[in-house]
Amino acid sequence: MTFPSLGLLSQSVLSGLFLGGMYGLIGLGLGLSWGLLGQINLTHFGFVFLSAYLCYHLTMVWGVDPLLTLGLLVPAFFAVGVVMQWALARFRVSTFNSLLVTFGLTVMIEALIQKIWTADFRKLQTGYGEEKFSFLGLYAPLPELLTLTVSAAAAGGIWLLMRYTDLGKAMRAMAEDAPIAAAFGVNARALALLLSGSCVALAAIAGVFFALSFTLTPTQIFSWVGVVFAAVMMGGLGNPLGPLLAGLVIGVSEALAMAVFSPSWAPIVSFSLLIVLLLFRPAHR
Amino acid sequence: MKPRIAISILAVGAGLATVPWLGLPAFYESFLYLLCHWIVLAISWNILSGYTGYFSFGHGAFFGAGLYATAFLAGKQDWPFLATLPAAALAAALLGTALGAVVFRVASVRGELFALLTLAVTFVLATIILNTPIDGGPGVYLIGVQLPRLGPSANASIYLMGLAAAVAAVLLAYLIHAAKLGAGLFAIHDDEDVAEVMGVPTYRFKLWALALSCALAGIAGGIHAVFVSYVTVAETFSIAVPLGVVLMSILGGSRHWLGPAVGAIAVTGLQYFFTSGEAAVTGRALFGLVLVLAILFLPGGLLGLLERLRRKTPSPVAADAKPAVQPALAPSPAASGTPLLQVEGLFKSFIGVRALEDVTLEVRKGEILGLVGPNGSGKSTFINVVSGHYRADAGRIRFEGRDLAGADGHRFARAGIARTYQIPRPFAQMSVIENVALARMFGGVGCSRAEALAEAAEFVAFAGLGPHAQARPDALNLHQRKFLELARALAARPKLLMLDEVLSGLTPAEIDEAIAMIRRIRDRGTTIVFVEHIMRAVVALVDRVVVLNHGALIAEGSAAEVMREPAVRAAYLGTTHA
Amino acid sequence: MLEVRGLRVSYGAAPALSDLDLDVGAGELVGVVGPNGAGKTTLINTLAGLIAPASGRIGLNGTDLARLPSHAFCAAGVAIVPESRRLFSAMTVRENLELGSYLPRAKAERARSLESVIALFPALASRLGTRAGSLSGGQQQMVAIGRALMARPSLLLLDEPSLGLAPAVVETMFAAVRRINAAGVAILLVEQNIGMAMELASRAYVLEEGRVVLQGQAAELMGRPEIRKAYLGLE
Repeated sequence: MTFPSLGLLSQSVLSGLFLGGMYGLIGLGLGLSWGLLGQINLTHFGFVFLSAYLCYHLTMVWGVDPLLTLGLLVPAFFAVGVVMQWALARFRVSTFNSLLVTFGLTVMIEALIQKIWTADFRKLQTGYGEEKFSFLGLYAPLPELLTLTVSAAAAGGIWLLMRYTDLGKAMRAMAEDAPIAAAFGVNARALALLLSGSCVALAAIAGVFFALSFTLTPTQIFSWVGVVFAAVMMGGLGNPLGPLLAGLVIGVSEALAMAVFSPSWAPIVSFSLLIVLLLFRPAHR
Repeated sequence: MKPRIAISILAVGAGLATVPWLGLPAFYESFLYLLCHWIVLAISWNILSGYTGYFSFGHGAFFGAGLYATAFLAGKQDWPFLATLPAAALAAALLGTALGAVVFRVASVRGELFALLTLAVTFVLATIILNTPIDGGPGVYLIGVQLPRLGPSANASIYLMGLAAAVAAVLLAYLIHAAKLGAGLFAIHDDEDVAEVMGVPTYRFKLWALALSCALAGIAGGIHAVFVSYVTVAETFSIAVPLGVVLMSILGGSRHWLGPAVGAIAVTGLQYFFTSGEAAVTGRALFGLVLVLAILFLPGGLLGLLERLRRKTPSPVAADAKPAVQPALAPSPAASGTPLLQVEGLFKSFIGVRALEDVTLEVRKGEILGLVGPNGSGKSTFINVVSGHYRADAGRIRFEGRDLAGADGHRFARAGIARTYQIPRPFAQMSVIENVALARMFGGVGCSRAEALAEAAEFVAFAGLGPHAQARPDALNLHQRKFLELARALAARPKLLMLDEVLSGLTPAEIDEAIAMIRRIRDRGTTIVFVEHIMRAVVALVDRVVVLNHGALIAEGSAAEVMREPAVRAAYLGTTHA
Repeated sequence: MLEVRGLRVSYGAAPALSDLDLDVGAGELVGVVGPNGAGKTTLINTLAGLIAPASGRIGLNGTDLARLPSHAFCAAGVAIVPESRRLFSAMTVRENLELGSYLPRAKAERARSLESVIALFPALASRLGTRAGSLSGGQQQMVAIGRALMARPSLLLLDEPSLGLAPAVVETMFAAVRRINAAGVAILLVEQNIGMAMELASRAYVLEEGRVVLQGQAAELMGRPEIRKAYLGLE
């Protein structure tokens, strides 16, 4: 185990920050639906990957600019989110059962992806991928930079919305005590549909940026689950900024672990953190 | 426990053991082995997760621990194969027990958090194995490992070992299901806190279930290592095992000991229609779909559906049968007046609320002590603390001289304390008679499951619930559920019985009957603490009264004395009308 | 103003309220008392829209609310102060009060309503930014009442406001309730502190097992021996 140079360490930290941005972007929708709707939506990961693959397809096969695919994917996935919430509410699925049901749905999505696009590795080849910024001797690839920016903007924007608008307050009230919120005029059912649609739309956005930065393969879906859950729980359920800040911490720790030890040790960081968290600061709504 | 079921299991196993000599193509042995493999995995998972409700997503970790124990010891250290199997079981069991010892003490990690934690453990273990000499990356070859010659071919030997493991698993699942351990696990599933208060040592039982579950999974892993003969971290710790066992158990029915086996056979059998590469993907999608549909529509699984169809719905009875049988309550000498329960300086707070403030009182043997006070005065909290449902913040709780404050909840029941809940909390998925039997099994000195069921019938009849003995609690009305609470508390043969508002909602005639019943219970030697709002019942029954207000004791004495005290009247009527 | 006829509410098969008739006139303060389990909280929760009745009519200023969805009740002019407060404990006092005036009609007068709530409960002025969950019982009760007032209701439903509060705090609470009623808001008050309830109310209903067993002028009811016997068990 040779200790890496300062330059290498700094680059690692930067990579870690970018990775953390991705964790935050994926975790944003997950944390919101868990914290505000009481649903542990594993399908979120399925949607991220599905969106990534669709973005890949639209770009590579139909020649659409990847960022423009957002215009199609976001509304489509929003609609899917609304339908999903409608179904979960209609069947009165409990928080725990939502974990199981969405587990099943994720497996279906993964199989669907594999069926259509096979298990081969797919990489989005675009102009974006070639761009790199450099400053202070460090390299910042454009896709990763975009991801971090979008992640921060989304988290910040939603935080402002939740904090300062009546709609945001209504959602927070609904999360805590839906019947009493309704007694003061909050249409909890409609808000839940809106929220769920938004969370899945966020998954779509995460998917597009995922496609820009990473190589796609269906079996990878579940390996992101642990890390993002750790970020969400560390950041606090329902807190829009939480997954991002926690994600950054995790990303940097992982990157340092990878640089100092070896890349295959990386998963231990987030999963061990998750275990410790669950034992000493269990998430509460 | 019915010996004939155990014998049937062994007989089926023996029968299937003859397959290698039937001259069938090798394919059948492999297929049957896989059936056995999944039966062991699903059944072992179900022993913890199905019976107690602690759904684990980490069964892959225990399976993998056992598999790699064998792979490492036999593949890299040249141990004889059979010797690695106990090591595999032990490795998995130790991992599980260490995890459980910590996690089960953290009360808030239940449900989805437990599932996530176990999933995380799987990834951590996989990473460690990948990065250490146990695997190191390239995988482990077991092709050269010598197998015991149990059958005409190596494949046959593996099959026979798998069969033995499957028979052992099914047998174990059945024995647990039929034993006190099983009853306790199912009680934990329905309401862990109430189970603890009824005397079930929940922590210990969960650890046992986890350890047995892990050991079986470890053995399945060890055998599987030689079946595949080349193991990698990626394959071993994939989502297949965690997903498969959940799916099979839920599909087959997680409450039944045979359920996971039924699910395993169904799923593995169906899988063989999708053997080619392409179809494997469709197969996975189908499994996901089946899981979703099963959760939404068939929560009890296939066997659960059969159970529901088979269970006779009790015909509505116009009036409950009058109690004809007097069950044997704990006989003891008449009221001796010595202190049975001594509470000193009891404090209990919740967030922002002082529920009990420096409460000191005494309950004397053979008396009926009334505990009264306005809503929110702390009466229920007092009962909760003195029955072990909550831990006191400070103070002493001496029962028959022994201080119970700070002890685990089940010790209170073991000491001879029983209580009813103001809002009835029966075990929802057990029948009326099973509810009562559970209390008898674990309360006080306890008894065997068979004895408990026999005696429970008497208590059920005593409470007027005879016609509903096999019914589920949700088929009862509130009045009947309150009497179920009473029967359950009595069945524990307690020395001290605490009744939390048993009379609310009863008609005046029913109240009179209940008063007479409570007197009979006392006359047979049980000391009673009686929380109630219905004053005429309090006045008619109690020897002494204690009044709480805002968590503090404000009056003590005979009913007449206490009700005339100005502080008491102000507490109830408000100062102007006192 | 409030006309309840034949209200029937069940929990599964068990009836909680049977054939209940009740009236509250504009600006009246009506009490509802009765033993535990009589259905008082069920009544309040049904009138606030939290529970859907099996049958019956809930007439408020002519409109039948019984079959409307929960979130329509507040718009009709009903506001609830629930048993054990049920504040949004993770939100600040100000945010709780703002939630009370979520609907457009109330939102338009939010600033004015906030002023009058502070005037009624001066102790809240310095605590607007505090997390509601960290307040004392009495302060939480003030916020709960304030939240309901922010909705500018024509009917205020109060469910056991004195529960778990120290006697001195209860006095302050009830003084506030008197002032609210004096300002013209009709109040339906469920209370276990029967003395205080009868002092405030002009009329009262006595509930037992989901039915009205006694009703009449408050002062007259208080003198009845059945009431004293039921609550004290003696004489």
